[in-house]
Formats: sequence, C-alpha cells, structure tokens
Amino acid sequence: MNLATRMIVTLTSIGLISGSFLAIVGQVTKERIIFNKKHEIEMAALKVVPGASNVKMIYEERDFAIFEDRDETGNLIGYALQAAGTGFQDKISLGVGVSPDLNTVLSLIIIDQKETPGLGAKITDEISFLQYWKNRDCSKSLILRKPPVDNPNSLAPNEVNAITGATISSQAVLNIVNEAIKKARQLQAEGKLSERH
Amino acid sequence: MAEKTRKQEFFKGLWGENPITRQLLGLCSVLAVSNAVINGLAMGLAVTFVLIFSSLIVSLIRKIVPNQVRIASFIVIIATFVTIADRTLAAYFPHLSKAMGPYVPLIVVNCIILGRAEAFASKNKVSRSVIDALGMSGGYFLTILLMGLIRELLGNRTILGYPILGKWFSPWVVMLLPPGAFIMLGLIIAISNVIDFKIKERQKRV
Amino acid sequence: MKDDLKDKAKSRELSLIIESSPHIRDKDTTPKIMYRVIISLMPAVATSFYFFRWRAILLILISTASAMITEVLCLMARRRTLKTVLDGSAAITGLLLALTLPPSLPPAMAAIGASVAISLGKQVYGGLGHNIFNPALVGRAFLQAAFPVAMTTWIPPVTLKVDVATYATPLGNLKFQNAIALGTLTPLKDLFWGNVGGCIGETSAAALLIGAIYLILKKTIDWRIPAGIILSLSAFTTVFWLINPDRYAPPLFHLFAGGLIIGAFFMATDMVTSPITRAGIWLYACGIGLIIGVIRLFGGLPEGVMYSILLMNTFVPLFNHYLRPRILGERRPKK
Repeated sequence: MNLATRMIVTLTSIGLISGSFLAIVGQVTKERIIFNKKHEIEMAALKVVPGASNVKMIYEERDFAIFEDRDETGNLIGYALQAAGTGFQDKISLGVGVSPDLNTVLSLIIIDQKETPGLGAKITDEISFLQYWKNRDCSKSLILRKPPVDNPNSLAPNEVNAITGATISSQAVLNIVNEAIKKARQLQAEGKLSERH
Repeated sequence: MAEKTRKQEFFKGLWGENPITRQLLGLCSVLAVSNAVINGLAMGLAVTFVLIFSSLIVSLIRKIVPNQVRIASFIVIIATFVTIADRTLAAYFPHLSKAMGPYVPLIVVNCIILGRAEAFASKNKVSRSVIDALGMSGGYFLTILLMGLIRELLGNRTILGYPILGKWFSPWVVMLLPPGAFIMLGLIIAISNVIDFKIKERQKRV
Repeated sequence: MKDDLKDKAKSRELSLIIESSPHIRDKDTTPKIMYRVIISLMPAVATSFYFFRWRAILLILISTASAMITEVLCLMARRRTLKTVLDGSAAITGLLLALTLPPSLPPAMAAIGASVAISLGKQVYGGLGHNIFNPALVGRAFLQAAFPVAMTTWIPPVTLKVDVATYATPLGNLKFQNAIALGTLTPLKDLFWGNVGGCIGETSAAALLIGAIYLILKKTIDWRIPAGIILSLSAFTTVFWLINPDRYAPPLFHLFAGGLIIGAFFMATDMVTSPITRAGIWLYACGIGLIIGVIRLFGGLPEGVMYSILLMNTFVPLFNHYLRPRILGERRPKK
C-alpha cells in the first residue's frame, strides 16, 4: 500500500469508527437530554403557581412561552409565563406565575442566568430577592424599590425590592417580567388564551 | 536520559511536570470553571476520562497511523471522547453541564490532551501511556480542585455548597470573578516554584 | 593575529568603569521623600477626622498598620533586610489606600486591602521600585472587586447633620440620580472644602491641595503630571458641557469631585509607576485625564480615577522605552 492510500484508509476508518460510536452515544442520551430541557421548564412552570398539579404549554414563541396551570380537579388556577431577556452580563431566563386574570404575580423563579456571582446572581436567592415577588399586584407595571427596604410590608402592592449593589440585574428581571405580562395580556385580548375546561 | 520507572512516570504528572503549574497548559478551563469545588471536580473528571482514553487509543494505533495524518487522527479520537463526556454530562448531570457551559466541548482543544498524545502516547507503549495519562490528569485534577476549594471558600464561604466559614466572614466576591482565578493561579504557581526550589536546594546540599 | 587584537581591545574595554545613570545625585533619600509625602497628606488626614470622626482615624491606623505588617512578613519570606520597612513606603501605601476608602467600610476589609496592596501590588514584583502598578490602587481595586457593596456604600459627613443611613457621593448623585435635571448638583463650595459624601480623604480638595503645593515646591512630585491630568480632563469635560449643559456637569465640578485631586497629585505621581521622560509624562497624564473623562461621562461607574491610573500605569514601561531622549547628535536609525 502506498502512502496516500494508507493515509486515506486510516483517516477514513478512524472517522467511521468514531462516527458510529458517537451515533450510538447520541441515540442513548438524546431522549434524556431533550427530557431534561423540557422537564426543567415544566417543573419551573409548575412551581411558580402554588397548588398547581399539572401544566400544559399553550403558547410558544422565541424566548417566550405560556403554560396553563391547573389544580387536581382541573380548574385553571393560573398561568406560568416563561420569558428571557438581557441581563447585566448575559441572557436571564425566568418563569413567573400569574393569576388567571393576569393581575397578580404569584411568584417568580429564575431558570437560567450568568450574572455576577455574589451580586447580580443573588436574583436566584429566595431571601434577598425572590421572596419579594410573592403576590404582587401587576395590573399596572411593577416597579423597583431602590434602595431596598427591610420590611416587605412597607412595599407598595406593585413594588418589589431591588438587590443592594445589583440594581441593573434587578431592573433586568423586572423588565423581563413586565414585558412578559404585557405580552400575555395582549394574547389574552386576542383570545389566544381561551379557557378550555 | 535513563528510562523512568512506572512510578516516576506517574508522579511526574502530579508534581515535576504538572500540566498546570509547570507546563502551563490547558489554563483556559482551569481559570474558567474553578469557581466552585463541584465544577472543578466535574471538569477534572471529564479531562481525566478524555485524557486516559485518548492516550490509550493513540498509543494503540501509533504504529498504524502514517506520520502525515497523525494530528488529524488524534483530534478525531479526542473529539470522540469529548463528545461522549459532554453528552453524558448533559443527559445525567444537567446542572453540572450547564455550569460548565462551553468548557467541556472545549476540552477538544485543551493543549494537555493533544500535547500528551503527540509528545508521549504516540511514542510509547500502551501501559506506559496510560500511566502517563493518569499522572497528567491527576495533576490537572488536583490543581483545579485546589483552585476550586480556595475560590469557593473565600468567594462564597462554602465548600461543595456547605457553609464552612461563619457569618463573620464577608465573602470576597473577587475570588469568584476572573481576576480571582488569575490571582489564585499565579499564587499557586509561585508557591509550587518556591517548594521546588527548596527541594532542589536540599538535594544539592546532600 | 586579528583575534589577538580583538581580545586586547575587549580587555581594554572591560577595564572601563561603567556606571548606570543617574550620575547626578542630590540629598534626597527614599525615606526623606516618603516622609515628606506623609507630612503632605496630614491636612487630608485632619479633614477626614473633621468630617468622619473616629471611623476615619481607625481606618487610617488599621490600613497603615496592616500595610507595614505585610511588608515585614513579605520581606521575611523573601529573606531581605527588614530595614526598608521604616523607609515609609509601606506606610504611604497604607495611608493612601485608607484615604480612598468609604468611611463606613469595616476595618477588617481595610486591613485585607492594605495587605493585598503590599503583597500583590508591590512585593510579588520584587519590592519597592519594581512594581508596575501603584500599590495603593491595586489594593483598592481588589477591595472594589471583592466587596463591591461595602465599597460603594457611603455615609454623609457628620458636619452635614443629616440622619440617613446612606448618602450618595456628588458623582453618584450626578450619574444615578439625575442631579442636573433636578438641580441637586453638589455646589462647588462644598466640593472644595469637602462637606460632601465620599472616601474619607478625598472629599476636601482644599486640604489635599495644601499638601500638593508643598510637594511641588519641594520638587518631590512633578507638576506636569497633575497639570496634564487636569488640563485633559477639563478640555474633555468642557467640550461636552458646552454641547449640552443640561446633561453634562461643568468642568470645575469634575475637577473637585471624587478622587481626582488625590489621584492626580498623590497617586499618578508615584515615582515608580510614572514615566521618566517629559514626553512620556505628558502622554501618561493626558491619557489618565481622558480615560477619567470617558468613564465619568459615558461609563457604568460614577468614578474612574482608580482604573484610569492603573490602566495608564501599564503603559509606563512602553513610554520609558520608546520616548527616550536622544543623545545629542544621535540620529534615528533608518528603516
């Protein structure tokens, strides 16, 4: 065998062996990877509406999705909005639970973020940020309280506490939520969130 | 130079030829994902896996592969194992996979692995290559773990997520940020140089 | 034969006494210069006590002590003589660092900062004279990155007698609270005397200027550096102020607000980390002024003195290399 053929034969066979090996690995892991991705968002959608026992995606577009949350008897108890937008460093992806009339934020969860550790990353922290998002009145736009107050009861119904030193990340989350609720309201007006019991 | 014993072959990777502190190879992932112990652990294991298996295969086929296409073949082999590691992490440890972002796929271009394939595995027997790979990945693993330990402890007062330091300690956020990685790596290299220098001095005296 | 001649020429050459510059010496020694700088900072220390009381003194003492202790430890680790601890350079680093800290900073953080300033800012490079960056600013940059919240929380000076937990600095007020539109821009008089929120030693421009004039008269610092910084920053801010005075603050505000005075007169003039030639000095100073202007006007941070000096510090070896004065009669080599 001359050199050229040998080169071709070796590279081809290495490529073939690797390729078939990877095909098997890909097959084995494919389902789980897709499941993981879906599962993560669905779990978040379930969690943001307290008392929900099953969710169903009813609307989806780029960086935005709406889930219906129903309790055990099948009553609609809220919507979970999954939305993403620009944070301080990278995209922030979050889930927010809202009441069926879209006027109350039930709770918030951060699905993915790459904010500054110890500062902006505190948006995932229950005590310093997420707890202030329980039962907020979002019939008008939510606004940020800065500097934050110690007593959550002194916040107005449509206010949420900012994180000290991380106003930009807090503001980013707020904007994403406000934007998502606006979008959901528009879709509701168009009748795309029709209630099917 | 006399042939090294197998033991020496293993330990050179941990200390004398440590890929990070001595050869300064593959620093990108060390700097990027050593901000927490768990990430360091996972990255260390991924690199260990890829390095051992690619060294094994490269050494096995070293006589078959024509010299002209060896680098291409090595890269294909390495990429195969990296993809396996990446997919496995994504499927079974989604959180870790997310924390490490692009750095697992980037192991393909990690100089330690191609470096060992080219400099060692392609010229040595299989058993020797695997021992070398074990030592090298051990050196990588220990260093990234040490970085992760210090950075997580100082930057977040925790180790593996468990609080170690009390509330009195205000975390040094800088340690979780890129500058903290550079400072830590610099200090670790400096300290290991000092220790090495001391050892050599003592040997001279003897 | 030829080789023989060459060797002879070589040996003759070697017998010459070669001495590196400087050949002209004066009576100034390192300790003398350093203690002069410390004295010149005393008015600023006094005003920091006047405005922030014992907090300021505590920070200054802890930071200076930590700097000197770290210096001793580093010298011991490097097996060098401990005599140089008393040359005052470590004390200045600690003092300068303390003067640029917010008054409410926990003293432990000041100690960490001073320790980092000496160890990572100076001793790792080989001690005084070998460092690339101004050590005090290295310490401050580390603290800024390590404790971002504590480093950007400000309290009002006691003289203002306002009862609030936090209080914006004039520059923070300008950048984040829309001060120009609301008409709450800090008056120049307060900026000049120091009756404002800010780092303990940088609020009073007057106190710093007294010390600075003393140093310039004693020729300890080169007047060209602060002059270059002030001129370039003024030029930069004047242009934007003239274009849109509703959005940009007047140049005098920028000169007296924040850390500009202490930065220009005491930090940028550090002998080790500033250029040695005239051309280098002007370039260095103007670079600092322009970067401060860009950060203050368009950056995300309200203040940029620290980062701009650190950035221009990196250029100093380059300036020293390329802007050497030519020896009389020497021609630029043709390419």
